[in-house]
Amino acid sequence: MDQTSQPGAAAAHQALEDLKADIEGAVLDTADAIDAYRIRYLSRKQGQITALMKRIPEVAPEDRKAFGQAINAAKQTVEERLEAATAALAGSAATSAAPADLTLPGRLQPEGSLHPITQAQRLITRVFENYGFDVAEGPEIEDDWHNFSALNFPPDHPARDMQDTFFIEDAEQDHGGILLRTHTSPVQIRVMEEVMKDGEPPIRVIVPGRVYRNEAISYKSYCLFHQVEGLYVDEGVTMADLKQILHAFARTLFGEDVRMRFRPSFFPFTEPSAEVDIWWKDENLPGGGRWMEILGCGMVDPNVLEGVGIDSEKYTGYAFGMGIERIAMLRFGIDDIRILYENDVRFLEQFS
Amino acid sequence: MIISTNWLSDYIAHGLSDDELSDHLTMCGLEVESVDRIGNDLEGVVIGHVLSAEKHPNADRLSVCKVDVGEDAPLNIVCGAPNVAAGQKVAVATVGTTLHLPSRDNPEERVPVTMKKAKIRGEVSQGMICAEDELGLSGAHDGILVLDDAAEIGRPFAAYLAEQGTSTTDTAIDIAITPNRPDAISHLGIARDVSALTNKEICRPAVAIPDAGGSVSQEMSVVIEAEDMCHRFVGIMVKGVEIKESPAWMKQRLIAIGLRPRNVIVDITNYVMYECGQPLHAYDADTLADNKIVVRKAEGGSTFTTLDSKERTLPDDALMIWDGQRAIGIAGIMGGENTEVTENTTNVFIEAAWFDPSSIRRSAKALSLQTDASYRFERGVDAEGQAWAAKRAADLMVELAGGSLVDGMIDEHPVPYEAPVIGLRSHRVIDVVGAEIASDEMARLLTAIGFGVRDSASDAFTWDVTVPSFRPDVEREIDLIEEVARLFGYDNIPEPTHSRIPNFTPGIAVDRQLRERLRDLLSGVGFRETYTNSMLPLETAERFNDAALPGGRFGGGVVETLNPITTEMAALRPSLLPGLLRVAGHNQNHGQQAVRLFEFGRVHTKRATNRTLVGDYTETETLMLLTSGQWAGQHWQHDVRDADLFDLKGVVDRVFSALGLDAPRYKDREASDLVAWGVDILSGKRWMGSLVRVSDAIADEFSLRNDGLVAELDFTALAEAAGATILPRFTPISRSPTVERDLAVVVDAAQPAGPMLEAIRRSGGDLLKDVSVFDLYEGEHVGEGRKSLAFGLRLGADRTLRDKDVDKVIARVVSSLEKEFDAKLRG
Repeated sequence: MDQTSQPGAAAAHQALEDLKADIEGAVLDTADAIDAYRIRYLSRKQGQITALMKRIPEVAPEDRKAFGQAINAAKQTVEERLEAATAALAGSAATSAAPADLTLPGRLQPEGSLHPITQAQRLITRVFENYGFDVAEGPEIEDDWHNFSALNFPPDHPARDMQDTFFIEDAEQDHGGILLRTHTSPVQIRVMEEVMKDGEPPIRVIVPGRVYRNEAISYKSYCLFHQVEGLYVDEGVTMADLKQILHAFARTLFGEDVRMRFRPSFFPFTEPSAEVDIWWKDENLPGGGRWMEILGCGMVDPNVLEGVGIDSEKYTGYAFGMGIERIAMLRFGIDDIRILYENDVRFLEQFS
Repeated sequence: MIISTNWLSDYIAHGLSDDELSDHLTMCGLEVESVDRIGNDLEGVVIGHVLSAEKHPNADRLSVCKVDVGEDAPLNIVCGAPNVAAGQKVAVATVGTTLHLPSRDNPEERVPVTMKKAKIRGEVSQGMICAEDELGLSGAHDGILVLDDAAEIGRPFAAYLAEQGTSTTDTAIDIAITPNRPDAISHLGIARDVSALTNKEICRPAVAIPDAGGSVSQEMSVVIEAEDMCHRFVGIMVKGVEIKESPAWMKQRLIAIGLRPRNVIVDITNYVMYECGQPLHAYDADTLADNKIVVRKAEGGSTFTTLDSKERTLPDDALMIWDGQRAIGIAGIMGGENTEVTENTTNVFIEAAWFDPSSIRRSAKALSLQTDASYRFERGVDAEGQAWAAKRAADLMVELAGGSLVDGMIDEHPVPYEAPVIGLRSHRVIDVVGAEIASDEMARLLTAIGFGVRDSASDAFTWDVTVPSFRPDVEREIDLIEEVARLFGYDNIPEPTHSRIPNFTPGIAVDRQLRERLRDLLSGVGFRETYTNSMLPLETAERFNDAALPGGRFGGGVVETLNPITTEMAALRPSLLPGLLRVAGHNQNHGQQAVRLFEFGRVHTKRATNRTLVGDYTETETLMLLTSGQWAGQHWQHDVRDADLFDLKGVVDRVFSALGLDAPRYKDREASDLVAWGVDILSGKRWMGSLVRVSDAIADEFSLRNDGLVAELDFTALAEAAGATILPRFTPISRSPTVERDLAVVVDAAQPAGPMLEAIRRSGGDLLKDVSVFDLYEGEHVGEGRKSLAFGLRLGADRTLRDKDVDKVIARVVSSLEKEFDAKLRG
């Protein structure tokens, strides 16, 4: 008891209790507060824990062990609290930096779009590419040979009136005239000519491109439009094969239950020739819909094959061609072709 | 061509409804474009007996009639016709009936009117006593239609008419005739296909064709000088005709198919043409000089007045009809005013000929004159149909115009028709069509449409098929295969269950792949794709044929079309720029603040180059980018900012990197009428396009509300340059860290940064991986007329760089900048 009554002993004990209270009570809500806390208690030079250790001799010898342990416990508390506070601070950093209003609009990326003609063209070409068709392109300014003569349009034949033509140069003696192609079919000839330079069929190709018609502009016709042409020349190709590929195409574009019909028609470069209609449901019409023409097709005329040096007894082929605008208008419900060429953003943005 | 179903029924009792008939026609290759019900079923119109007709008390020209229509009490009807009288049997439209009455403004047009009980000047009227025009029977409105006394009171009027062989309703079917079907441009031609499809007999009007010669050959002579162009000329004469209106039934039919009745003679020639397909011409026989007709070519350049009173300049080689002294008709196209049938005509000479299709087509084209006759001749009329048609017309003239037939017939026939015989292999039909059509079935189908089919002597699997004279389009085996397939029915061809795909390798189509890649990129970075017209006014095309743009760079002329629709579309675009500017102006004037557009398209120039495929024209594909107005729109955190050249430049850089090309170089270009300022875009040494702000004059002209920043790239050249890089090659990633150094130099304020960047890249060598400009400063710290440019350099190698290596590179770069640009390193 003498020892406990030593004058310094009580003060040291009191200092320990104060220290413990401070350690427990300090508010550690910022990085600065945590730093200051660490320095205040743990610094080797000025830390209060170190300072209290130095006061152990003031305590009665029999209490010194317990006193030392109490200091160590306090030190442990400091370390624990530092750890917890640091972790808490790290965890709460985001929370504390949160913007006042998370419902404000984000920074918009500008919206772009592909033209519906491009979208329809991609749809169409993808179907045929899946069926192993190559893709070719050709010139818009064409000669009479590729656009007409090689496609079995005889000179002075009414078939030439089927496609109103923009001429660039009249026919003269040395060449047959130059014009804006009226269809993508001349590319059939170019492709076959190319293959026959050093090869033989099979030829299996589709041809997208822009074509021109000298027709009055209205809601259903424009002075130019786009087509996709298809050609398959091989041994044993039949009209039944043609029906099959086009049916597959129509199913992809217009649904598994599409109704389609082939009706006889006439194109100089195919024989037999057909036009293909699909049944367009429309409850407002008597009969619940109507037949809509989507493409023309047929078996490649033997004159066309022979004209490019392909043996028309050995090889047969089919060809088809469709207007991309027509398909786009059907699929997207557009009722005036001219709007496709107006490019009003309020129209284009519907296809974003 | 329009056909009338009533008329068709004269030749075949097909038993089909209008819809079924249309469907059959369409499915055999005669595409029906429209089906119009015409006329009125006249429901509510009944036969009445006029019991009394008194003068209206309050109107001089009206009568008040009591009319018995078989009901309990007679109707009170006010009638304005002068000829109404007690005792007449008349057609009465009772209250509630709807008639299609001629419009007051335009008698050709009809408007539906429903009868109501009304008071007319104080007198009750319970219906209308009808005139012929009100019933749709004719154009006559002289007075009410008075029926014969035997007509039964109260009977529906339609039933009465049916007994008389007249129908009040008809259906007009418009058929799109393809050029390979000259046989189908008539009611009998259509009936032939209907007969084949329904197995019903055709009933042709009985016509007794006279022998050649006879009295007519004393009265008229025909000489064919141009035998190659006129294989046959048949002439028949009818004397003493009375020129008057045709009977109602004939007028009704002509109106139904869209023709306007003229007089009985002209109407008969039209009627027979639409009946059998053979065009006819009727001359006033008394106007033919020397009683002679000669078929020979025109003297080119001479003029001739056709019966529409137009003077026409004749093309060379036009085939003409002459009399003893002068030209009297353009063969197969239109007759002359000098010999046409007029109201004073009494004697008529009927021409039915076969003219060469190409010759008729050439003349019709040169004259820009297409007629019902030329339409048929240029497709090819039945080579043996002339005599039937001429005699048929003559018979009708005798019957309907009170004429008397001159016996005999002129039949000049220098080139007789020989029916072609074509071999048809039944296995070939199956090879082409892909359906197992029985051989006998093929024969049956061809026989049904008039072909002669017999076994070939040479081959058991071959038919010898004789082509009928009305099918000049059938010349080859494939033509016969088409006929078989068409009648067999395309819908009956079975589809195979599996698709055959040949074993070959599709090509890569580099252009297309790159184009699609750029489309995705550009739409992804906020640009909208457009498609604009390729045709422009010539003046616009010429102004945009500018060396600043890819098309104009070829230095050729603008390509014009010979036959533009309008002058607004007379030339082909040399650049996509005018089209896109128009779109930009349109959108800015419709409230769009931010306009970002792109387009891929072909441009054209008249000059032969190494890209020329056709003639002396160069066609190349360009990619156009346009931005105008806001780049960054309204936002709560940043300000609105208009697009500037550097925005678009960044996009061009992305285009190059998407193509796998090195970043482009930019070089200032001069201002012009088109360009306010801008740069050329180069890939290595190759010019790839330009990036410019269009001049204010151009911006104003296209109503732009903001600066127009545009770039047009030569896509054909870009794709060619990028072709080799379409497949990316992997290079190992360096595991060593890169080193970054900044370098600020002071140069003359006018010194452009581009060449300095190039110098840094060049002098930096392999170790320099990247260089950027991160600061530009002008102001007091660098002195008057100077500026500071700060470059960020990133260096690296497949090893860890030592300071020594880095310092060496930096020293090289600094020395090059000092030497070339008088640059001073900033402290």
